[in-house]
Amino acid sequence: MSTKGTKIPDWLTVPFAGITPAPTQEKGQDLFPTGNWRAIRPVYRDKLPPCNNACGTNEKIQGYLDLVKRGKYLDAYALIKEDMPFPSVTGRVCYHPCEQACNRGKYDEAISIRAVERFLGDLGQALTNDVVQAGKPNGKKVAVVGSGPAGHSAAYQLARLGYKVTILEKSPKAGGLNRGGIPDWVLPQNVLDREVERLKQLGIEIRTNCEVGKDVSWDDLKKNYDACVLAVGLIDPNSIRAEGENKEGVLYGLPFLRDIGMGTSKVKLGARVAVIGGGNTAIDCAREALRQGAIEVTMITVEGNQEEMPAVPEDLHDMLEEGVELIHGRACVAVLGNGKVEALHLHPAKFSGAVNASPINIDREAKPEKFAVDNVIIAVGQHASLNWLPAEFKNERGTIKADKFGRLGDTNFFAAGDIVQLGSGQPLMVVNAVGDGKRVAFNLDKVLRGEALQPRTIPVDVIFDLNRMNMTYFPHFPRIQQTLLPPKTRKKTQDEVIQSFTEEQAVEEANRCFSCGTCNACDNCYLVCPEPCIARPERSNGLYKILVDYCKGCRVCIEECPTGCLEGVPELDFDTGVVRMDTAFAITPGLHGRQAEQLKHLDERAPKNI
Amino acid sequence: MPVAEAKKRMVRINGCVASAQAAKYADVDVIAAYPIRPYTATMMALAQMVANGELDAEYIVADSEHSQLSIAHGAASAGARVFTGSSGVGVQFAYELYSPISGSRMPVQMMIADRTLDPPGDFGSEHTDALSTRDMGWIMGWSCDAQEAFDNHLIAYRIGEDRRVLLPQMVCQDGFFVSHITGDVELPDGGQVREFLPPYKHPYPLDPRRPVSHGPQIMPEQGPPLQLERARAMEESMAVIEQAHEEFGKIFGRKYDPWLEEYKTDDAEVVFFLQGAHAVTARFAIQHMRERGIKVGMVRLRTIRPYPTERVQDSLSKFKVVGVIETNMALGSVSSGGALYAEAAAALYEADKRPLMMSFMAGMGGEAIVLKEFYWMTEKMIEAQKKGKIEKRTHWVGFEH
Repeated sequence: MSTKGTKIPDWLTVPFAGITPAPTQEKGQDLFPTGNWRAIRPVYRDKLPPCNNACGTNEKIQGYLDLVKRGKYLDAYALIKEDMPFPSVTGRVCYHPCEQACNRGKYDEAISIRAVERFLGDLGQALTNDVVQAGKPNGKKVAVVGSGPAGHSAAYQLARLGYKVTILEKSPKAGGLNRGGIPDWVLPQNVLDREVERLKQLGIEIRTNCEVGKDVSWDDLKKNYDACVLAVGLIDPNSIRAEGENKEGVLYGLPFLRDIGMGTSKVKLGARVAVIGGGNTAIDCAREALRQGAIEVTMITVEGNQEEMPAVPEDLHDMLEEGVELIHGRACVAVLGNGKVEALHLHPAKFSGAVNASPINIDREAKPEKFAVDNVIIAVGQHASLNWLPAEFKNERGTIKADKFGRLGDTNFFAAGDIVQLGSGQPLMVVNAVGDGKRVAFNLDKVLRGEALQPRTIPVDVIFDLNRMNMTYFPHFPRIQQTLLPPKTRKKTQDEVIQSFTEEQAVEEANRCFSCGTCNACDNCYLVCPEPCIARPERSNGLYKILVDYCKGCRVCIEECPTGCLEGVPELDFDTGVVRMDTAFAITPGLHGRQAEQLKHLDERAPKNI
Repeated sequence: MPVAEAKKRMVRINGCVASAQAAKYADVDVIAAYPIRPYTATMMALAQMVANGELDAEYIVADSEHSQLSIAHGAASAGARVFTGSSGVGVQFAYELYSPISGSRMPVQMMIADRTLDPPGDFGSEHTDALSTRDMGWIMGWSCDAQEAFDNHLIAYRIGEDRRVLLPQMVCQDGFFVSHITGDVELPDGGQVREFLPPYKHPYPLDPRRPVSHGPQIMPEQGPPLQLERARAMEESMAVIEQAHEEFGKIFGRKYDPWLEEYKTDDAEVVFFLQGAHAVTARFAIQHMRERGIKVGMVRLRTIRPYPTERVQDSLSKFKVVGVIETNMALGSVSSGGALYAEAAAALYEADKRPLMMSFMAGMGGEAIVLKEFYWMTEKMIEAQKKGKIEKRTHWVGFEH
């Protein structure tokens, strides 16, 4: 009898056959401190998804796609509303830099983020009461000059911060560029009206027909408000400095669209219309011209080809589908006609340097081409109209001189949107103006609360490399395209060209999201952990916990994390709460005895029904 | 019990069916099956019983013996009484599981109908398959006929499931000689079995309502206590084995010595030492030789794990010559023959009187050991007895003159 006379010391007494209380139980961790074997610790570190990063206002895109995926539409809408006052608008008009940045684009096709945003925006439109509430009033008054995207956004965020906001709008209707620069068939007026209503519901006063410099002076703003956001936009159209530009039948892009948008247009277009310019406004003008009765619409651009045009590619595509012709590499040097435009003189032209960022060289020696038209719409950009602004706050570009926080000197005046962004390199797009308005609102708030403005210094980690994720988890799946009205009929109406997603489509599209670098509670780590080292207190986003006393650092969860949010961090990087490797084989004496004791108690514990 | 009543329950069945009947009487909860000849007939019979509703059990067909034993392990962890089985190379394919099952103290029962290991394919009985797992912590023994096989299954469950033991059991029978040859088997009545074998309950089954961790990773220093506990369980099972056999005899009327069957050994000078079915032929051979005045007998080992060292010492030291009939291969071992010699010799080392010992490689590959071979082996033993020494330790029976 070999075991005769043997005795296991108390501190080494093992539980029956090594069976122990499960390590997930209250005391189980303590009994099996195998965490000290670990050299690498799994850590949940959410990265910034590339879509969020690319968005002009840093919408939490991955976040709301995830919520849509789970059918939590209202939560998704509330999340989007943190950064974007009018998803119903951007869901229609945005140039969606998020989709260009989408990692899925490198894999099969980018996610149709804008369509999902529109789905959420329309959901918000249908709510009787918006989910957003005005902040607790702080007794301070702010004027926002202009109700375009930047002004709208700044006013919205300020109201949420508790300010009493007054919007001063020179037009008879609020909306700025959203109303005056975007045609009905892209953004129906009633959608925008609803968003303006939402602003009023936040307690924001909107004074229309109120122009700074005419109805209100600089000093009035200074005297009557604690602070002011200038979001006046670029409203005066640029000239092409062509001979005879003042003839009847010569129109300018933004005013042309604005008058139609405001319902004040008296224009009757002839059969042949030329649009000068190659940007988004020019495209909108060309397409609007068709809807205003023009038969032949031709677009004349200095850019040598379609790729060089600073336009959203799908809008360009839709325009060509509607039958607009393109003439590249030409500039108009003269508008011919007897009092009224009859023809244009076109000369070869190109940019002297970088495309769209350098002066234009026109070959004036060349024999001019005569191009017969009934109307010409000039859409080559806008400039500021700032007669009322003290000279010290003007810069050489003719826009407002503000620091990087949007503040004018050390005043309580701030500027946001195109009026400060022109020439900054940032595209002058709705979403960028919204982002600018948001950031300026927060900066203004800081200044009024007496806090210092400091640039953000925390580095952001954006996943651009698909290899940082586990792509084996993502089957290829095509993007769901929004349906469009047929070009033949749509070009004669103001009906919205692009159609909404159905609920099923929105969910299916959201389901394609990789959730790049961000935990989306997929449970994969929880399932693959070979030992119960991952606790899941709740099945909701980011709420996993690594039981570090027990985790041996096998890295399976890290390797198998589909989104790349789990990272392996060298154990030596941690200095608290760690049992180091040098104690690995010297567990507390008595541990095993305690385990055995625990097991005895298990017998006494009545099983809970599950 | 009235003899007439018992006679009514007499059936003529082979060893495989006897094993299946035993599993049915033990009312097993889970059966893990995977076919390999010759034990397959047991699983065929059980499948029929489950299909007919005679037995209420989960009958799981695995995709290999490894899975079969894994299923058995898992089912036992959840608290089930488990029956499984295999033969030959199938026994070895499951090798990984033998230690974990005994180490986690799961009283799984495995029926073995021996089959020679490859190469090449040979269906005949040779004990090497099961014997190769003999040190894995399983209670192990051989039956020599269908009735004994039936009885050993019930006894083994009773031993293995005893709280003092909690170890798996391998209940072995020779392929063909037992598994496929019919014999008279007396089936018990249900009441007898209920009295002998109470329902099984593991102390710490896997149960989501009371979570425990089975087989967790341990520290090196936690290993020795666990091994010591397992060794202790094996040793302490000896008392339980004796008690179980005694109680079995009382309830069923068939009394077995748990360790050794001694046949005509009272005045024997030379004896065969063997296990399994060849004992049946040996008994006839001994009868014939006794008629001619030769003092020959037989000692049959019934339980090889735990090994009855003291009993083997006491018994074998009485004789002049012991001829071990191996029916198994232990290539390059101490006798260059089989495993039985080595252990019997080791057991006798400390004995006051040691017999001469020789090893007979007989019954290999499933060959029957015929009467004249028993006579030949007896001659060899008597020759050694006369000379007072062993001139050749191991003989390949049938290949020498």
